Amino acid sequence: MPLDTSTYNLALLRVDGRRWNELRQQKGQLGVQPSADGSAYLEMGNTKIQCIISGPNERDLSKSTSSASTAPTSNGAGATVAVSIMIAPFATVDRKRRGRNDKRLQEMQTTIASGLAATVQGQSYGPRSTIHISLNVLSQDGSLLACLINAASLALVDAGVPMTDYLVACTAGSTSSYAAADEEADPLLDLNTQEEQELPFLTLATLGATDKVVAMVCESRVQLTRLEGMMATAADGCKGVRDFLDGVVRDKGELMVQEGAIGRGEVVSSMDLD
Amino acid sequence: MPITILQPSLAPPPKLRNVDSDSDSEGGADLEGDVAMGRPAKRARTQDSSIMTPGEIITDDPQWMRGHGTYIIPGASSNTILSSVAGTLAKTNKLLSVRPLRARYTPEIGDLVVGRIVEVQAKRWRVDVGGTLLAQLPLSAINLPGGIQRRRTETDELQIRTFFSEGELLVAEVQQLYNDGAAVLHTRSLKYGKLRNGVFMSVTGTGGGGGVVRARRQAFTLDISGTDEVSGSEKIDVLLGVNGYIWISKHIEGEGAAAETSGPGITRIEESVGLNVYSSQNDIIPVDTMREIARVRGVITALVENGLRVDEEMVIKGYAEAVEMAKEERDSADTLWLGGERGKRLANALVGR
Amino acid sequence: MSSTSQHLLLSPAELAYLHGSLSLITPGPIRPDGRSPTQFRPLTAETGILPGTNGSARICFADGTEAVVGVKAEVEKTPLSPYEFVASTEGRKDHTQKKSGSRKSKKATGDEEDISMDVDEEAAGANDKIRGSPDWVELSVEIPGLRDDDSGTVFLTSMLTEALLADGEFVKKLWINRRFHWKLYLDIILISPPLSYPLPLLSLTTHLALLATRLPRLKSEADEDPMFDDDWAAATFLYPRQDTSAKASNKSSKPSSAAAAPASRPPITLLVMAVGDNIIFDPSKEELAVADSAVAVSVAEGPASESESEPEPESIPATTTKRNLQLLSVRTIDPPSRLTPPGVPNSVNAAAWGTMTAATPTTTTAATASATEGGAAKHPDARVTETEDVVGVWKAPRGGAKFGMLGAMVAKVLEREAASPRSQGAG
Repeated sequence: MPLDTSTYNLALLRVDGRRWNELRQQKGQLGVQPSADGSAYLEMGNTKIQCIISGPNERDLSKSTSSASTAPTSNGAGATVAVSIMIAPFATVDRKRRGRNDKRLQEMQTTIASGLAATVQGQSYGPRSTIHISLNVLSQDGSLLACLINAASLALVDAGVPMTDYLVACTAGSTSSYAAADEEADPLLDLNTQEEQELPFLTLATLGATDKVVAMVCESRVQLTRLEGMMATAADGCKGVRDFLDGVVRDKGELMVQEGAIGRGEVVSSMDLD
Repeated sequence: MPITILQPSLAPPPKLRNVDSDSDSEGGADLEGDVAMGRPAKRARTQDSSIMTPGEIITDDPQWMRGHGTYIIPGASSNTILSSVAGTLAKTNKLLSVRPLRARYTPEIGDLVVGRIVEVQAKRWRVDVGGTLLAQLPLSAINLPGGIQRRRTETDELQIRTFFSEGELLVAEVQQLYNDGAAVLHTRSLKYGKLRNGVFMSVTGTGGGGGVVRARRQAFTLDISGTDEVSGSEKIDVLLGVNGYIWISKHIEGEGAAAETSGPGITRIEESVGLNVYSSQNDIIPVDTMREIARVRGVITALVENGLRVDEEMVIKGYAEAVEMAKEERDSADTLWLGGERGKRLANALVGR
Repeated sequence: MSSTSQHLLLSPAELAYLHGSLSLITPGPIRPDGRSPTQFRPLTAETGILPGTNGSARICFADGTEAVVGVKAEVEKTPLSPYEFVASTEGRKDHTQKKSGSRKSKKATGDEEDISMDVDEEAAGANDKIRGSPDWVELSVEIPGLRDDDSGTVFLTSMLTEALLADGEFVKKLWINRRFHWKLYLDIILISPPLSYPLPLLSLTTHLALLATRLPRLKSEADEDPMFDDDWAAATFLYPRQDTSAKASNKSSKPSSAAAAPASRPPITLLVMAVGDNIIFDPSKEELAVADSAVAVSVAEGPASESESEPEPESIPATTTKRNLQLLSVRTIDPPSRLTPPGVPNSVNAAAWGTMTAATPTTTTAATASATEGGAAKHPDARVTETEDVVGVWKAPRGGAKFGMLGAMVAKVLEREAASPRSQGAG
């Protein structure tokens, strides 16, 4: 189904009724899996991901997660991050079973592993330990890589793994296709499957709310002049995602403080500093 | 009822932000249905939220020193201390650290831990203590049988498996830490050694919300003669490993059995104690004791499932409460079961909710 | 509840204690978590979690194991068979019973080849040309950390498929007309690492997902190319809901031919184990580690009456009084207890009591010497104690399950099932 660009130009509304800079509705939950060291559930629109973390621990890598992609943290001095993705056959509109060695999956795994390795402060664990991140895609509707990164980030926070900041990601597209040969086109934020199939887009991962880019993946042809706008839009989207994830974590933390599961924190105020 | 179905805990419904964000022209992303909590990180510390999240600036005053769970941006000359985990802030003099909401066990010297042997090497055992790395127990750090103090011989090395073999549980103390956080254990005390006559369970260890916390006493004895069915004065030992591994077993009074078989004499008793440490044969355990052990295990499970801390006080109080609950519903058969709603009731009674 | 070791490792003392407490006769078994012998682990269940599927369910056990099942249906052309089978209903029933009977005695030693049941033959011509073929259902199981062709995964897949196809009624629900049928894809995903033997969890989740599965309502008639109502609210349940009042169930007799068996439910596979003379339901991983034998029993609830496709609502009797349970299959599971290392009795334990009977050491050096002796040279008693039971010392069970025990376990499953109405998860 082609994206009717003429309609967009008239109402400035996208197929699902969003404006150009609107993120889809997000839902997040921490600690959904009592047996795991860390877990998170994240929904961005209809893309639904569950992330389970085991570790950091010492476990034979070769035995259980042969298809996982790994990346060492702290230049090899810290724990290894191992990422494996499983896309449920029923996640897409048409049922499709993916093998574990699917090239697309491997590529995404590598991107996520290296991105997280740059963010995780693994030196306190030592190089012998591994953080196993297993991502289950239950439903897929665009911005898959971005959602996977965000879900993994959230689960890492739940596991108590020290990180420089949240690693957050978002997609940005362009309102006209490459073939239209427009030098300028409005950017779009957070694409769904329908838009992804039609339009050029990129996935951008930044370190928290800063504009430091950790990873960028662009697999479609797009005029160079449009790129900057898309990147700026995606970076703005990342800020929004970070705020959302942060809110989920704070809600959970405050609930735990309220219930007395953890002690109330102290506050560094200017009065202490004399 | 054979199947208990609990209410699923759903994701909290998104709270709609009241800000009118109708302008679609200026930059910045709008969240459709954003959560009210999503405030910028930099402002957060000025508000009353006591939760720190990764990347949040704790302070930029040069007086403070950074501890666990914090970092400074390397290279930069600034003294800004940032949080690297989500948790609550703790101050020790001028040291700032952030305690994570949940994390794997991080060993500290002097911790009493319960561990499971996972690997036997030439001169040491590798022990799972639930931490990020396996702990190790050198052959030189155990009491050898036949005497409290004697030299380690090659024979001991050859029969290392007779002391501890794979899968066996032991209680030990953290003696030393390596740079990467790996712990070295020792069992050079009559209190430590192989575990038998009981059941094992594992909860989240220290560092997590709801779980075993470091306390004055990690091991204690529960008197179960409070329940009227129990004849005699049986007791249960509860061993709350700081790492979240828990051992609940029959209490063995003194070393009576040991003294009998090996004859009289003070030195004899001493030796026998040393020997008994490596036994993997259970004593005969009365049925009542078994039932009460299962009850204590249920109490601890209920504490964990309801996000309460696990320490001596809570376990003792919880156990008394569970016994009361069992007395009240004498006629129903499954009084041992403390999951689901019953667990919630128990927890509520404990914290007075 | 997490452990670094992937395999369940238990100490001999733990195993001995567990075995002892589970095989108690007088007050019944004391399970480590305090459950009664027939009690299941508490669970949270949700259905309809994935709008993109025809049916979905998620179940999370309290011990942290979690599974998600998604069901997708596609319309497929039925290859026209060159010949038509006409078999009587009676013949089919006999055949099914014989099959389940023969399976009981069969040991499940990893051969999964006997799932190719000739259901198409059995089912053919039974109900007014409504037929089904086992090819119409495709089931896949995904276990984290295991390869797709791992024997464990294959075994689980075949066991769940077998239960679903066993009575041949299920595939008939997928019949659209003579030229078309639904192809049903069941994808079962274990989200958590396999902490306990996942069969009951996967089976329960599949059960719930199938209960929640809906197919679009057929608008076309007879053998035309199928046309469907695109109103999802009008879609019919694969297993029609049995309404609480009899009136409602009368009303709900939809024109769809599949809505014929109001009381039937998807099959369910339960794990039952035996320790000593005790039969224990839904064992946890620790309990399974001391099992003398374990059995997976599949049961289904068939329609209470044989008048399956009667169009008159009057003929559907009130089925709540008597439930028609069918035993579909029984498979023995090799319990992990057989691989556990035995405990060392004190009498031969060199590091503990050592060879006390042989020599009474007087000095510490003598004790060491005798300990060495006991360790190196086999003590004469060692062979005896290896085969004998010593109280408080773990010994892995040997030999197969007793036939009487198997029968008792199966009987107990059916009894429990009949006594308790299956609870439905709401979400």
